[in-house]
Amino acid sequence: MKRAVFIAAVLILFGIVCRFFPLFHVVALKRAETEKNAGVFNAAKFADDFWSEKLLKSFDHAVDAKELLAAIQANPADAQKKYARSLSLGGGYFYYLRGEGRVLATNDSSLSLAINTGGTNTEVALQTGMIFGNAVRDGTGLLNASDYPNLQDFNSISAELNKLVEARVLPELRAHARIGSTISFIGCAEVDDESTDLNPLQVVPIQAQIE
Amino acid sequence: MKSTILKLAGAILLALAMTFICQTTDADPTASRGKIAVVISTLNNPWFVVLADTAKQRAQELGYEATIFDSQNDTAVEASHFEDIIAGGYKAILFNPTDANSSVPNVLKAKAAGIPVFCIDREINSTNAAVTQVLSDSYSACVKMGQYFVKTVGQSGTYVELLGIVGDNNTWNRSKGFHSVVDNYPNLKMVAQQSADFDRAKGLEVMSAILQAHPDINAVFCGNDAMAMGAYQALVAAGKEKQVKVFGFDGADDVIKSIAEGKIEATAMQFPKLMARTAAEDADQYINGKRDFPQKLPVQVDLVTQHNVDKFIGYGKK
Repeated sequence: MKRAVFIAAVLILFGIVCRFFPLFHVVALKRAETEKNAGVFNAAKFADDFWSEKLLKSFDHAVDAKELLAAIQANPADAQKKYARSLSLGGGYFYYLRGEGRVLATNDSSLSLAINTGGTNTEVALQTGMIFGNAVRDGTGLLNASDYPNLQDFNSISAELNKLVEARVLPELRAHARIGSTISFIGCAEVDDESTDLNPLQVVPIQAQIE
Repeated sequence: MKSTILKLAGAILLALAMTFICQTTDADPTASRGKIAVVISTLNNPWFVVLADTAKQRAQELGYEATIFDSQNDTAVEASHFEDIIAGGYKAILFNPTDANSSVPNVLKAKAAGIPVFCIDREINSTNAAVTQVLSDSYSACVKMGQYFVKTVGQSGTYVELLGIVGDNNTWNRSKGFHSVVDNYPNLKMVAQQSADFDRAKGLEVMSAILQAHPDINAVFCGNDAMAMGAYQALVAAGKEKQVKVFGFDGADDVIKSIAEGKIEATAMQFPKLMARTAAEDADQYINGKRDFPQKLPVQVDLVTQHNVDKFIGYGKK
């Protein structure tokens, strides 16, 4: 009898201790995942929010393609000074442009567009293949590396924005753009250095409409 | 009497000489502008030696006394250097961190002691510790590297990746930039991914071990040139240097020569001299009162291949 009381007392004591100092917690998987990712930069969500809340509202800042292409033809260095933006030390820079052109040719990775620049046609290559690089992230000037404690986060934005271009802009172009179609577009171009061939300028579209 | 006059004349001469020496010392611009510390993650890699020497030289040109501290890739050694620097009355620190996270407290300690820190090449995970961070744009370079890799190796095959120090952001910026391209090609399969700590000897050791398990690979992508040279050495020892394409990162002298000789396929040219000079000049401007610096200043990195290698020399452009 005494022994049974002793065991019961130990069990009750153990129960009380466990109540306040549990050996383990049972947590729903979804909640555990949320807690694990708390504080971790979510590049996909950031890119999605940025796309709808800032990028689509920034089109007024894009320079007229006719004006830009004419300036590049006249003097690439002057065009760079006037219209380009650069985030880094070195020769690379970006253009943010909008325009309309007629499709001259198509291939797996781009559409060749003729843009009338005052009597003559100048070509741009609208990218329709896999999108790499930082044209969309850095072309608009809306994002700044200095705002990110870790450049890995900043870099992951590029990858996510490129995925959004591939998912939201390119399918329509790939499916319906034909030689002779007129396309209006807004996009960004990345230029590596002074040796980059600007004819045609390689443009990553962030919005495109087939007329 | 005569000897007293002589002694007096001697004393006057000595005093005049001392005054002259002191005036000369005071006029020395090196002594007048103070001391700058150059703290480098490791000097066991020629690339970082160039970074350190250039930073020191530029600081000296600007009129400072500059001292190089080698952290030996050890955050404890780095912390000890910072203690010495704070106690030693330095005016600024040009800093190549050992670890993106573990180096932050050192920078904060220097900041609290009123010593500005200017990061070079390697990032710390903070936007309010260093005055500015001049960093190679490793990610963008490796996006270009990934595209060139697919172009030269092809859209199918097997490859190995040698990573740098796991705690360094550059390791992952390079790896992620590369994979942001290469992973789009499902028939290009990575059969091994291992760290060799940015070290040539470890690159040789790790690559030799990997070749035992995967003798038929087509390529190896290395997070820096030291590992690329180590990997190449392992391939030569295994008689596979013509079968396996080697890709590096840095723009080190020996790799630029190896690209020209057709031994290494490509590298990404960082500009250590440009970064080191920029950091030293930023420090000088800060000491002179400037406060408006970008927190992160990426520096463009150029792809060097067998097609354009004639435009480059070790650590820079011709």
